[in-house]
Amino acid sequence: MRNDVVVIGAGHNGLVAAAFLAKAGLKTLVLERTERVGGGVRMSEIAPGFRCPTLAHTAAVDPTIVGALALERHGLEILQSDAHVCAPTVDGRALTLWRDPARALREIDAFSSRDGARYEPFLESVRRISSVLAAALESLPPSLDAPTAGDLVAGLKLGRAFRALGKADAHRLMRWIAMPVADLVGDWFESEPLRATVAAGGVLGSFLGPRSAGSSLVLLLLGAIHAHPIANGWWPRGGVGAVSDALAEAARQAGAIIRTDAAVERIEIADDAASAVTLASGETIAAGATLSCVDPKRTLLKMVDPIHLAPEFVRRVQNIRARGTLAKVNYAVSELPDVANQLPAALSGRIRLAPDVDAIERAFDAAKYGRFSDEPWIELTIPSVTDPSLAPDGAHVVSAYVQYAPYALRGTTWDDERQRLGEVATRTIGRYAPEFESTIIARQVITPLDLERTYGFTGGHIFHGELALDQLVMGRPVLGWTRYATPIRNLYLCGAGTHCGLNGGSGARVAKEILRDLKRT
Amino acid sequence: MKYDAVVIGGGHNGLTAAAYLGKAGRKVLVLERRHVLGGAAVTEEVFPGFKFSVCSYVVSLLRPEIIRELDLPRHGLEILPLDGTFTPMPNGDYLWRVNDHAKTRREIARHSKLDAEAYDEYGKAMVEMARFVKPILNMTPPDPLSRNPRELAKFWFLVRRFSRLADADRYNQLQLMTMSAVDFLDQWFETDVLKATMAASGIIGTFLGIRSPGTAYVLLHHYMGEIDGAFRSWGFARGGTGAISNAIADAAREAGVETRTRAGVARIAVKSGQATGVVLDNGDEVTADVVLSSVDPHQTFLRFIDDRELPGDFRDEVRRYKFRGSSAKVNLALDALPHFTCLPGDGPHLRGALSISPSVDYMERAYDEAKYGDFSRRPYIDMVIPSLTDPSVAPPGKHVLSCFVQYAPYKLAHGTWDERREAFGDTVIDTLATYAPNIRDIILHRQVVTPLDLEREWGLTEGNIFQGELTPEQLFFARPVPGWAQYTTPIRNLWMCGSATHPGGGIMGAPGRNAALRILKRDRG
Repeated sequence: MRNDVVVIGAGHNGLVAAAFLAKAGLKTLVLERTERVGGGVRMSEIAPGFRCPTLAHTAAVDPTIVGALALERHGLEILQSDAHVCAPTVDGRALTLWRDPARALREIDAFSSRDGARYEPFLESVRRISSVLAAALESLPPSLDAPTAGDLVAGLKLGRAFRALGKADAHRLMRWIAMPVADLVGDWFESEPLRATVAAGGVLGSFLGPRSAGSSLVLLLLGAIHAHPIANGWWPRGGVGAVSDALAEAARQAGAIIRTDAAVERIEIADDAASAVTLASGETIAAGATLSCVDPKRTLLKMVDPIHLAPEFVRRVQNIRARGTLAKVNYAVSELPDVANQLPAALSGRIRLAPDVDAIERAFDAAKYGRFSDEPWIELTIPSVTDPSLAPDGAHVVSAYVQYAPYALRGTTWDDERQRLGEVATRTIGRYAPEFESTIIARQVITPLDLERTYGFTGGHIFHGELALDQLVMGRPVLGWTRYATPIRNLYLCGAGTHCGLNGGSGARVAKEILRDLKRT
Repeated sequence: MKYDAVVIGGGHNGLTAAAYLGKAGRKVLVLERRHVLGGAAVTEEVFPGFKFSVCSYVVSLLRPEIIRELDLPRHGLEILPLDGTFTPMPNGDYLWRVNDHAKTRREIARHSKLDAEAYDEYGKAMVEMARFVKPILNMTPPDPLSRNPRELAKFWFLVRRFSRLADADRYNQLQLMTMSAVDFLDQWFETDVLKATMAASGIIGTFLGIRSPGTAYVLLHHYMGEIDGAFRSWGFARGGTGAISNAIADAAREAGVETRTRAGVARIAVKSGQATGVVLDNGDEVTADVVLSSVDPHQTFLRFIDDRELPGDFRDEVRRYKFRGSSAKVNLALDALPHFTCLPGDGPHLRGALSISPSVDYMERAYDEAKYGDFSRRPYIDMVIPSLTDPSVAPPGKHVLSCFVQYAPYKLAHGTWDERREAFGDTVIDTLATYAPNIRDIILHRQVVTPLDLEREWGLTEGNIFQGELTPEQLFFARPVPGWAQYTTPIRNLWMCGSATHPGGGIMGAPGRNAALRILKRDRG
């Protein structure tokens, strides 16, 4: 029996789409290349009894989706971490931004009372501005050639939300969108640990340094998901992978079928319409509609024969900038890292290792010349602090984002540099946690090349393409094709490389588009 | 003595505003602190017989409307062509682009056949983009928060204009407005030296590297220059850049404008929220119905005006406005012409711009050093030898070499600019010597103009040549600060008309013209 929809890739967007499509009664099949669901949001057992987030170490799904799919009923339990961020300094102090605002303020005051006075107003301002950005992401990008009444209404709504910000925040939004995050934190704060901690959110996963224009936008975009520039992301029981498991469960319960170890190699096209997919095994699966949740470049340049696409369109897809800069190093350790002698509770959130904004910028400098940083910027999480079930008694799993590790190395390859990358990460962490190295039981290094080869992220880019002004909203994935359809009939895109793809939103939206198109025919 | 308008600063924008007001019958006085008019568009005989365009040194963006409406050729303006850009390379090769398109195409093909083809396409695309942007230069930026239908109409105008572009042009426009120069050029070209030289225009006067988003936009400026109707050519003014200011000043005086030099302003007189005139350094008072300031917002609002006269949030915004000068000038008086190892002799390549921008990495490294508070050990240098085209600026057989150097950050991590001036000059000469070794033997005199000099002598805060960085967050309706991008200020009858207002710096004259036209429009009601 033919599938109504075949979904390529069981990442969170694909699972969301599958769940909604199946709920609407469509026969939906999800094909996942690897052995488990989750895409970038998954766990692996890196040593017996140690379960660590393989790639992303936090995740968040649009709350309306959580409700609509009843994810809590499907096993999702969100835990609260005591701290949002801990920023240790090399001289053994630490700035911890606790969930409890009063406690966070006391910490900031210890570094600068001026910053203490400005922290809350800053968060407030970001919250208001993020909500306007969230509204911008909410609606589909307008069509320039044939604007509909809906586009006009969305535009007016957005205009109203913008005006409602008031003068001060509206002016801030205008400036911040194009501003380097180093200048943004420089405008607000004077203590380097706070500056660096906030600024780090503007370069995460991006080929940008804090002094690059556009980095404030990344901070605001990631912040828009939770209306908080720092505390974005959840700590689910069982690790981040639990988010994917709950989504998969919701999809299955709705009737979708999920097949793992089923790598799609080609999207078959007949009469200018996608008609089937062919797996690496040679098996061909017919599909009414095909929805690809892998990145646009992989979908449109590798899975589709470009002969079916106009050269100008192909050029635009080729031009999508997806230059990964993030590597992942995961550790199983015998005891809690002695980061600046902090209490476990202080280490329950993100731990950002950067003494100052310049240190992040210097780490980026190397990437520009095709080298990885000798002193990288690292963000750690220790999910076993909040959920001890992830590691044996007293032991912990430590997940590290290591930046900058440019996908394109000069004069060497990632396979040759893997060991060195792991050592650099360990050494850098050791600067803040002297005993760390001696407690390591196991280490897993995932280079940008692994991100591409094993997990399918073109260029090793965790967002399926830079979060840059020209690659967002009207330009995501490419100008003129922002509503999940492609020039090939019955072939749809969703995922991080499409509008609203960071928190599952694209999955929900593409499902709507597919259902509407099917109704029409 | 009471004037209709008094203009602070006799640079090209101040003079332009004055000329337009004068032509409309207003009684106008221009006050210049220095001994000579022109601001940074000035020619000075720094060493006997050698006339330097001390600061700004080429012209391309001077609005054709201004040339026409002020009849500048009649007032002595003559633009001489500056043909091409020559980039020597360390491997002994070079890239030499000239105005002759076929020739340039052949030259680029020597480096890459693909690039030669792309160059045609690129040129066509950029001309379309320049056409799109041109009317925006003469527009008073809309206020996004205003409910005034006239302001909304401006937005509508922009949206309509954009949506009427062909799909490919929209794509290019979106990219140009937001991307880094290198990323943008990477999509078109593969030749490193070509990309580096083209991208260089994106960082002039900013404290960004060519890989930073927001630097692509300035690539357009190269296609906007119009001289005698020839799209995209650059030129010199005969007699040096100061000749432009002199021509505008002449037009202004003919229209009855008074100009006074050595007349520094001490403060702007404000009475109950309204500007009433200025007080000079010597204590003289000048009263006027309208005060126009062509100097930067830092000077205007934080130096000339009492704190109590301005709203606190406005002062905060002005303080946040970024200057961060990043460039310097080295002007040389030469006994003979420099000879490049890669193309020896006095050939026509010396008549154009000479660009030390051999690779993208070279440019980016120059920036990296400056980020942490040092001048580039191997800087980007853009040079011209105006004496080859205009012999009047040097004694017979001698030459003038004008070097624009970046990065030279205003704030040094170690030492002061006064202490490091000569070391910086030596760095520039050393850099030149790697491409043109005879340079050391032919220098008669050397003038180093540091960012600190630009601030002290020319009143450019932090030495920024554009009166504030030309970065996306400080452009259009955010120049100089959001909410005050329409040449007006929180003080009634005080207007801004300098490079710190839309559309920004360079010898464009548009801010001065736009401001004057707005004042005249307001007076007409």
